[in-house]
Amino acid sequence: MIHTNAASSELFDNLRLELRRGCLVVAVLAQLYTEHYGYALRKALGDQGLAIDENTLYPLLRRLESQGLLVSQWREEEKRNKRFYRLSPLGEEVLPDLLEEWRQMTSALERILGDRGLASTPKSRSQSKEEK
Amino acid sequence: MPITKTDLIDRYLHAVKFWLPKAQQEDIIAELGEDLLSQVEEGEAALGHQLDEDELAIILKKRGSPMKVASSYLPEQRLINPAMLPVYRLVLKIVLLWVFVPLFAFVFLGPVLAFAHPGRALLACCVEYWRAAFMTVGMVTTVFALLDRYQVKFKHADNWDPRKLPRVPGTQDTRARWNHLAGFIFGLAAAVFWVSLMWQRSEFAFSGGTRLILGPVWKQIYWPVLGVTLTGAFFDLLSSLYPRWTRVRSRARIGIDICGLIIAAVLLRAGNFVGIVDGHLSATDLATSVAWFNGMIDWTVIAAVVIEIGDAIHEARSLLRGKSAKPAAIQTT
Repeated sequence: MIHTNAASSELFDNLRLELRRGCLVVAVLAQLYTEHYGYALRKALGDQGLAIDENTLYPLLRRLESQGLLVSQWREEEKRNKRFYRLSPLGEEVLPDLLEEWRQMTSALERILGDRGLASTPKSRSQSKEEK
Repeated sequence: MPITKTDLIDRYLHAVKFWLPKAQQEDIIAELGEDLLSQVEEGEAALGHQLDEDELAIILKKRGSPMKVASSYLPEQRLINPAMLPVYRLVLKIVLLWVFVPLFAFVFLGPVLAFAHPGRALLACCVEYWRAAFMTVGMVTTVFALLDRYQVKFKHADNWDPRKLPRVPGTQDTRARWNHLAGFIFGLAAAVFWVSLMWQRSEFAFSGGTRLILGPVWKQIYWPVLGVTLTGAFFDLLSSLYPRWTRVRSRARIGIDICGLIIAAVLLRAGNFVGIVDGHLSATDLATSVAWFNGMIDWTVIAAVVIEIGDAIHEARSLLRGKSAKPAAIQTT
């Protein structure tokens, strides 16, 4: 039984990772309408309920910058050099389309879940974990 | 001497730096260091005192090992394009079969049966097998890795036509499978027979002092005949494994038939296939015997030519039929 639970937990973690991957891109791009440096961005996302690991965030920021969606610059703030990121003109152009796509997907998903009475689940796995 | 806060962070950053690509090292380490210091400052503000060594170690440990942190910055790397993996597996299987089956027949069976010490021959063959396996897998993998590295695109992958997909296997395929398997065994046996009969042979000596002298043409056609026979056997094996690959098989058969016809033409052109040396026969009897032998070989080669032409025509017709065939109805089951 322990083995089954461990396997199901690993499976859930992998599915969760896949689910989060695309959402994080949207969240980071949306948050960077205003300029942030890495740590402040991580805090801001965490404060809004989307905690993100630094080993995920920084490589993601670099990838988005290399794709031309973000621009960054090193600047001194509070006597320390920090790298500030914000949305590039290309990012500003792409983000609304991405958000529209995301809205369509969530509303479709809501309809599917609503039709099957799954719109509100009794207790999610992460909620159960937190209670424990 | 106690480890200071910056000492520990510097050590950690240095360890991460080691795994990063040179061009990005400074930039990534500067940003990572800044992030760490921000987190430490926040922790100190929350606790109301400076973090000690253990508390700092917990933070760093939570970040992950230096190699893991560095790997998250590296681009995803792969040796072979995942989309090419099915083709890779198929090619590997075919090449391994092609390497191992003849290897089994000529390198394994031959020495084991012929050598005075079969155990030693067996050991040597096992070593050869492993070497061949490693080389084959290595070479095929390298080719596919290079295809991925240079982003080689296959025209066939995009320009496919659902009407040209192989049909669903039926009972006929099972029959065809066994026929091809029999063809493969026969082809392999023919190759072994050819090697054992003709390998470095210039004459056949019989009891009573009679000798059959082979003409030079047999040396010329030794390797082509062996190559064609083995290639035929290989395609029979392939057809028995994949009976629906009718187009590949037909094309290969036509190619093999053409090669066979070229070899036959070389033989027929040479004319003098054998000579006979026999002290007991008169010159007239000897000339008659030689003429009879050469005539027999001549007719055998002509018969082979007729069979090959017939086979090539049959395969060409199958190819054309396949090309012009239209699906009668859409099968939904």
